Amino acid sequence: MKRRLLADSILWFVLIVGTVMFVFPLWWMTVVSLETPQRAEAAITGSAGIALYPPNPQVANYAQAIRETGSTPWMGFVDALSNSIVITVVVVLATVLSSSLVGYALARLRFRGSRAMFLVMLATMMLPGQVTMIPLFLLFREFGWIDTILPLVVPAFFGNAFFIFMYRQFIAQIPESLVEAARIDGLGHLAIWWRIILPLCRPVTAICAVFTFIGTWNDFLAPLIYLHSDEQATLAVALNGFKNQYGGLEDVHLLMALSVLTMIPCIVLFIAAQKAFVEGLASGAVKG
Amino acid sequence: MATVTLAQVSKMYDGGVRAVDAIDLAINHGEFCVLVGPSGCGKSTTLRMIAGLEEITDGVLEIDGARVNDLPAKDRDIAFVFQNYALYPHLTVAQNVAFGLEQRRAHGNPLRAMLTGQRDARGRESAHIAQRVREVSSTLGLDELLTRYPRELSGGQRQRVAVGRAIARNPKVFLFDEPLSNLDARLRLETRTQLRLLHRRLSATIVYVTHDQEEAMTLADRLVVMHQGRVQQNSTAQIAYETPANRFVAAFIGTPPMNLIDGHFAHGTFESHGVSLPLPARWPSLINQSKPCALGFRPDRARIERATAHDGAHSVSAGAKINARVVAVERLGDRTDIAMEVARESAMNGGQTRLVARVNADEAEHMREGDEVRVLVDTAHVHLFEPGECGARITAS
Repeated sequence: MKRRLLADSILWFVLIVGTVMFVFPLWWMTVVSLETPQRAEAAITGSAGIALYPPNPQVANYAQAIRETGSTPWMGFVDALSNSIVITVVVVLATVLSSSLVGYALARLRFRGSRAMFLVMLATMMLPGQVTMIPLFLLFREFGWIDTILPLVVPAFFGNAFFIFMYRQFIAQIPESLVEAARIDGLGHLAIWWRIILPLCRPVTAICAVFTFIGTWNDFLAPLIYLHSDEQATLAVALNGFKNQYGGLEDVHLLMALSVLTMIPCIVLFIAAQKAFVEGLASGAVKG
Repeated sequence: MATVTLAQVSKMYDGGVRAVDAIDLAINHGEFCVLVGPSGCGKSTTLRMIAGLEEITDGVLEIDGARVNDLPAKDRDIAFVFQNYALYPHLTVAQNVAFGLEQRRAHGNPLRAMLTGQRDARGRESAHIAQRVREVSSTLGLDELLTRYPRELSGGQRQRVAVGRAIARNPKVFLFDEPLSNLDARLRLETRTQLRLLHRRLSATIVYVTHDQEEAMTLADRLVVMHQGRVQQNSTAQIAYETPANRFVAAFIGTPPMNLIDGHFAHGTFESHGVSLPLPARWPSLINQSKPCALGFRPDRARIERATAHDGAHSVSAGAKINARVVAVERLGDRTDIAMEVARESAMNGGQTRLVARVNADEAEHMREGDEVRVLVDTAHVHLFEPGECGARITAS
């Protein structure tokens, strides 16, 4: 009994410390976003203590941050937001569809060299992004794709090695007889993938969609490399422009306000997908 | 209804494994044909070749007289019931039953139907499918289950849905791959009877695979016993039981299996260690011959009498009797199975010969393990087989 209590206490302590460590920066970001410019700068430079709540919340900071994003008032933010949305939605859909389709092929179709192709695909996961960055840039420049969203979205149509691997492992566990029943019912491979396999892969799809969404939405490097003009910038890039626009830290409260806004979709998505997400991680563990 | 004909059909897997070896089989309209055999005998492969799930390496497969070797599974107009049922987990029972029909409708795409002015035709199709699902569900008692998902059903209910999905489409041929083996014993018996009734009602052509010879015998109009990729016997269940084509069939069909004793036939007498049976002159081909063979008789063709003290070990000559010792007594209620080992003078030549007799319970009431007994064989019902695992039965007159 006593032992149980001790174990529980330790568990709770660890969980609370962990939660505080992860939640505090978000909370503090929100606090700073609501401060006056002077107090925000003082908080950042460390000349004032850390405030746990804003004494005098400046909600207007948010309107100002939106207005001052990009080079044209209001429209700069709308541009950046719509760019981010378009790129993210296309990349998420393309990644889910292409990765699951390739995963199905690798798991279920027998063709010459399928195993070798699978291994080569796995090997690409070992390559750090920095290695391919410059060749990719040169390639896309050759295509004339610089300052368009194409370099950001087109690769997603060719699958993602990690998600293909996840889909393949999951699909390999689906009983062969389901596929055979579908064949007898008159479905071809594409229809089997779309009507039987994809609905059964929901847990994997949830993981794939959430990870891809967060990765793309927050991606800073790739848009920075490929998108040069203001109207093409995504939110992540616009955020950065914010900081540089005035040099220094005098607008840090606006930066924080826009950061909070940028973060909202990720949090909402995570909460919404949490059930499918946790189910996916668990089912992978149990069945695998 | 349709006929299914296999002519010299073979299946060779990569690596040279011959799973099915040139089998010939003709299944008639409305026949319930059961393929039975031990695991690895090629029965499932044969069924899957008929379905189009496995390619045919060699030979010709015809359904209704038309060669279908190269026809994809969906165009053969067959339905397949899988051992694990293979219900689509993300669809309700009603959607599962309707799935095959939806696939086959002429106006499946609602958008195209609207654009081409075929909405009425599509509506009639939908009504027809709904009607068909209702018919099937009332035939199989699925009405309560239509809105449920497969994970919410018991094993028996899933099995019924799988059958429902098969009959919904009214296919030419039904193929069943061990559909009862995931059910518990009682439910298996019940479902077996229902399948038999369903077959009578649909008068459909059915090819059914099982490894359970009892299930096979009760269901089959035509029983096909397979072993090592070959058909060992193709007849009615009764004929296979009474006159097995060879030693394998004799040992496989019937519970408990036929008693088989390896030995020698010479001058009208079958001799083995501890066994000497004078046989009536039913084997004209063996007259004046001396050859190795195996003797077989069904457990219910043997009677047992207790060996008494005064007739000792030397009175073996008294007709068709075998001296044996009881090793196990299995009481089944009205009948009792008695397993025995044949007594022998010397312990030469490997293992003991084991026999089983199935007798009335009251005859065996006082039998105990270790009792010395004499087995009386009804010589009118013994068989002789050529040596070897699949040695042919030697025809008697």
